[in-house]
Amino acid sequence: MGRPLISVRDLTLQFDTDEGRITAVNRVSFDIAPGEVMGLVGESGSGKSVTAKSLMQLNARNAVYGPDSRIILNLEDREIDVLALKSPADLLVIRGGAISMVFQEPMASFAPALTIGSQMIETLMIHLKISKAEAKDTAIDMLARVGIADASSRFNQYVFELSGGMRQRAMIAMALSTKPKLLIADEPTTALDVTIQAQVLELMQDLVKEFHMGILFITHDLGVIAQTADHIAVMYLGELVETGSTRTVIHHPRHPYTRGLLNAIPKLDELDAPLVAVPGDIPSPLERPSGCVFHTRCSEVIEGRCAAEEPEMKPVDKDHDVACFAVELADAGRAENTAP
Amino acid sequence: MSESIVSIRDLSVHFPITGGWFGPKLVVRALDDIDLEIKRGQFFGLVGESGSGKTTLGRAILKAAPISKGEIIFHDGEREFDVNNLAKQDVLAFRRQAQLIFQDPYAALSPRMTVRDIIAEPLEVMKLTQSKDETNQRVRDIASECRLNVEHLRRFPHAFSGGQRQRISIARALVAKPSFLVADESVAALDVSIQADILNLLKSLQQEHGFTFFFISHDLSVVAHVCDVVAVMYLGRLVEMAPSRKLFSRQRHPYTAALLSAIPSLDPDHHHKAIKLEGEIPSPLSPPPGCRFHTRCSFARDRCRVEKPEWRTIDDEHFVACHFADELDL
Amino acid sequence: MAMTEDALPTAREAKKKEAYFTASQYQLVWARFRKNRSALIAGSILMFFILIAVFAEFVAPYEPTKAGFDRSYLNGPPQLPLFWDDNGFSLRPFVYTYKQKRDENFHLIFDVKKELDQRRYLEFFVEGWEYHLINTYVDLPGEGLDFRLTVLPMNRHLFGVDKGKVHLFGTDRQKKDLFSRVVFAIRISLSIGAIGVFIAFVLALAIGGTAGYYGGWTDRITQMITDAVRVVPTIPLFMAMAAFVPAEWSSEARFFFISMILGLVGWPTLARRIRTHILAERSQDYILASHLCGARPSHIIRRHLLPSFTSYIIVDLVISFPYMVLSETALSFVGLGLKDPVNSLGVLLQNVTDVDVMLNYQWYFIPLPIFVVIVMSFVFVGDGLRDAADPYTVHK
Repeated sequence: MGRPLISVRDLTLQFDTDEGRITAVNRVSFDIAPGEVMGLVGESGSGKSVTAKSLMQLNARNAVYGPDSRIILNLEDREIDVLALKSPADLLVIRGGAISMVFQEPMASFAPALTIGSQMIETLMIHLKISKAEAKDTAIDMLARVGIADASSRFNQYVFELSGGMRQRAMIAMALSTKPKLLIADEPTTALDVTIQAQVLELMQDLVKEFHMGILFITHDLGVIAQTADHIAVMYLGELVETGSTRTVIHHPRHPYTRGLLNAIPKLDELDAPLVAVPGDIPSPLERPSGCVFHTRCSEVIEGRCAAEEPEMKPVDKDHDVACFAVELADAGRAENTAP
Repeated sequence: MSESIVSIRDLSVHFPITGGWFGPKLVVRALDDIDLEIKRGQFFGLVGESGSGKTTLGRAILKAAPISKGEIIFHDGEREFDVNNLAKQDVLAFRRQAQLIFQDPYAALSPRMTVRDIIAEPLEVMKLTQSKDETNQRVRDIASECRLNVEHLRRFPHAFSGGQRQRISIARALVAKPSFLVADESVAALDVSIQADILNLLKSLQQEHGFTFFFISHDLSVVAHVCDVVAVMYLGRLVEMAPSRKLFSRQRHPYTAALLSAIPSLDPDHHHKAIKLEGEIPSPLSPPPGCRFHTRCSFARDRCRVEKPEWRTIDDEHFVACHFADELDL
Repeated sequence: MAMTEDALPTAREAKKKEAYFTASQYQLVWARFRKNRSALIAGSILMFFILIAVFAEFVAPYEPTKAGFDRSYLNGPPQLPLFWDDNGFSLRPFVYTYKQKRDENFHLIFDVKKELDQRRYLEFFVEGWEYHLINTYVDLPGEGLDFRLTVLPMNRHLFGVDKGKVHLFGTDRQKKDLFSRVVFAIRISLSIGAIGVFIAFVLALAIGGTAGYYGGWTDRITQMITDAVRVVPTIPLFMAMAAFVPAEWSSEARFFFISMILGLVGWPTLARRIRTHILAERSQDYILASHLCGARPSHIIRRHLLPSFTSYIIVDLVISFPYMVLSETALSFVGLGLKDPVNSLGVLLQNVTDVDVMLNYQWYFIPLPIFVVIVMSFVFVGDGLRDAADPYTVHK
C-alpha cells in the first residue's frame, strides 16, 4: 500500500458506566491509504461511531482505551500517535486540522445562533494562520465548490434557513475548508432524502478525487458503501468480522454475519427473492456473548469452539480477511481436498 | 373480494401556520387533490420523500389529521363511513377497523404500562371483551402470533429491543382485529437484519388475517419487496401508481424514474449514473404552480409550468400525472 | 423471539434481571434513589423529624403551653442526662437536682446537687399529662365552621423523671420546657409547609393541567395570569397579606390563613412546571395511539398523562416544601406570621433576638440548628429524587 494515511492497531475501547465496564470496541485494526474511501459498516451497537470518534479523541471522558491500542496518523512531515495526545494545542491537529468530521445531523453541528459564515471563519482561523478576510474568501469559495448556489449570500445565513441537503453540503464545506488529509463521515446521508443523497454522494466522490484525501465512511447502508467505498470493514458488536475490497466482500462474502446482512437487504433487481432475516436480536452491550460475539445468532456455529474462543482476522483471499472459525475450517478442508 | 376498502376523492389537507399574534397566515399544503382507491386485501405501498405528504395521507385516512376539502369513504363490507363526518356513535366502530403502527418503537409504547396492558388497551377502551380472562386470552394469542414470548408480557417496554418493541406495536394494532392497517415508516428505525424480520412478519400476518395494509415508506427497495401496488407522491400530489412489478420495470413519470435511479445499487460494478435532479425539494408552504415537479424535471416544458397535470390511466392499472408521459421513454 | 440468553446466567442473576424487566416506574425510581447515599441519609433524618411531629404529644414530656410550666425552673439551662459521674456508674440515665435560689445580689442562680441521693432517674413510657391521639380543633372566624375531633385518650410519654421535671433543652422566661416547645414547633412548621404545598399543588394542577392539555387560547390566557402572579415580589406580598389578618382571629385561624397565603403565592411556579410536562408528553406517539383506539380525554389523562409526570410532580412538591417552611419561618420571625401560643420554629426564633438571651441563655438557639437540618434534609431528598426521577431517559 505504501505508507497508509492512518493506521489503527488493536483499538480497544471500554466505557465505565453505572452498570459496569462495557466493551464498545474490541481489538479493531485497519489502515486507510491516502485517497482511499474506507467504508465502516455495521448496525446499532457495532461500535462504528465510537471507533471513528477515537480517531479524533472525541469520546466521552469515561472512555478507557486498551493498553495496546494505537492510532498512527502519517502526515508528510511527521507521525502522530493520536491516542497519546494530551494538551488542547496538540489535539488541535486531529480535530479539524488534519482530520475533519461530517456528522449525520447537520442541524446539530452548526450553532443555531451564529451565521454559517462566522462559524466557517472561526474554524479556518483556528487551524490555518490566515486573516479574517482571507478566511472569508476561502469559505465562500468552499461553499461554491460544494454546489451551493449564490454562496456569498448563503455565507451570511443561519443554518435553519437552509434545507437538509444544503446544510449537509455546508457542513462538508466547513469540514473540507481546512484541507484535511482524512475526512470522517458518520452517516452523512442517512437523514437525507434519497434524491438528495445521490447528489451529496456524487459531490463527495468528486472532492475525494480533487483533494486526494482519505474518507472513513460510516454507515449501515450497504448500497451506499458498495457505490462509494474502495474497501469495506464490517463490524458487529465492537468486533471486526470481515474486511476487504468492496468488490470482493460484496460478491463473495465469507463471514456468516456479512452473508446474513446481504441476504436481508431488499434488492431492486431481485424482487422475487425472499428477505431472509438474521435470526435473533442484537445483544445489548451489557450482555456481550463470550467467544465469537456473533455465535448466538450464527447458522454455522461450531459446538464448543465458537462460544469459548475469539476468532482472529485471517486472510482468506487477496485483500480479503475474515474472523470466523467456520470459514477457517471450510478453507482447511478445501485445502486438504485439493492437496496432491 | 376486490372492491375498495378506502375511496379517497379530491382530498386536500392544508395546515395553517400562524406567525404569532399579528404575523402572516401561512398554509402548509400537505395534500392537494388526491384521488385514490385502495382495494380490500391489498398490500398497498406509498412512497415519497420529505414534504411529499405521505404521512399526512395515512393520518387523514385514520381521522388523525384535519380534512380541508374532499372526502374519504371507508367501506367495511357492510356499511360506509364518511371519515370527515363521522357520527359520534360511529367513531368507535370506525376506530376498531382502522389502526396505525408507528415509526419510532421507543415513543410508541407507554413506558409506564406493562406490555400486557399496552396490548390490551384497545380491547378495554373499545369494550370488545366481556371479561378479564377473555382479554388476557386475546392478548396472549396475538402476542404469540407476533412471535413475542408470552412469559414476557408482564415486563415493561424498557426490557425490550427495538425490533421487539415494534412487534408489541404490531400486536397492539392487531388485537382488535382491524380490517385496515396503516404502517407509517414502521421499519425505518430498525436495523437491516431486524427489518427483514418485521417485514416477513407483516406479510405473513396479512396472509393469515386478510387485512388491507397501507405501507408508508421512503425506502423504495423495501416497498418493492412487500407491496402489491405502489403509489408515488411528490409535494402533496400523487404522481404515479401501478402494480409493484410493473412500476419497477417501467416507470412513466420522470420523478419515479429519478427516485429509482438514485437508489445506490448493491453491486459495486453496477455504476449507473443517477438521473440528476437539480435543486432542492421546494417547500410545501409555496409549492410551484402547474406541475409541482417542473422545477427539477429535465423534461419540463412551458405547459408544465402553468397547467396541473391530470391524474389519469396510462395503461392497465397504471396511473400517472404527467402531461407528456406517453411520449417520454424513461 | 425471546431476549438472547447466552452464557447461562445464575439463578440469582436471572432473578435480578427479571426484577428489572418487570419493575414499575416507582420501583425504578426507588432503585436509583437508593444509590444516592446523601439522599438516603437525609431521607432518614426527615422521617425521624416527621415521626416526632406526628407523635409530638408522646415525645414531649410536658405541655408546651402555660399548663406545663415548671415553677421552680425559670430560664434554666439544659439538664443533660448522664450515665456516669463521680458517684459511680448507672445503667439508667439520670439528671441532677437543680435548686433555684437567689444569691447576694438577688440574681437567680442554680444550685446543682450532685449527691447520689439527689439523682433523679429517667424513666421511659411514663404517665404524664393527658392528650388525645388525634386531636383536632378548628376554630375559624364565625361559629359555624368550628369543630373538634378527639380520638383515643392517652397519657403515656416517651420519657420523664421520677421526681420533679426534666428539661433537656432548658426552660424559657415563662418557665416552659423548651424541649416540649421545640417538638410541637416542629409539628407546626411541618404542617404549615404541608398545607401550603397542598394548596399550591391543587391550584397548580387545575390551572397548569388545563393549560397544558387544551393548549391554544386556554393556554395563552392562563400563561398571562400565571406570569402576572409570579412577577409580584413575594416578601412584600406576604407581609401585606399577613398584616391584614385581624388581631382577634384565633391562632388556629391564623395558622390556616398563613398556610393559604403560602399556597396562593406558591402555585405559579408549580403550574408552569406541570404545564410543560403535559405539553411535552401530549405529543408523544403513545398518546396518539391511545387516541386512535377511541379513548376519551379522561382515559388518556388518567392512564397515560398523569402517571407520566407523577414522579416529576413529587419532586417539585418536595423541593417546594423547604421554601414554604422558610417563608413561614421568616414571616413568624418578623412577627407577621404565627404568634404565641401557636409556636412554629420561627416563633421560637423570635425570642433569640434579645441581647440578654445571646449573652446568658444560649440554649434558646437550639431551634436554629434543628430548623437548618430540616430544611437541608428536604433539599437533599428533593435533589436525590430529581436525579432518580426519570428512569427512562437512558435508552438505546
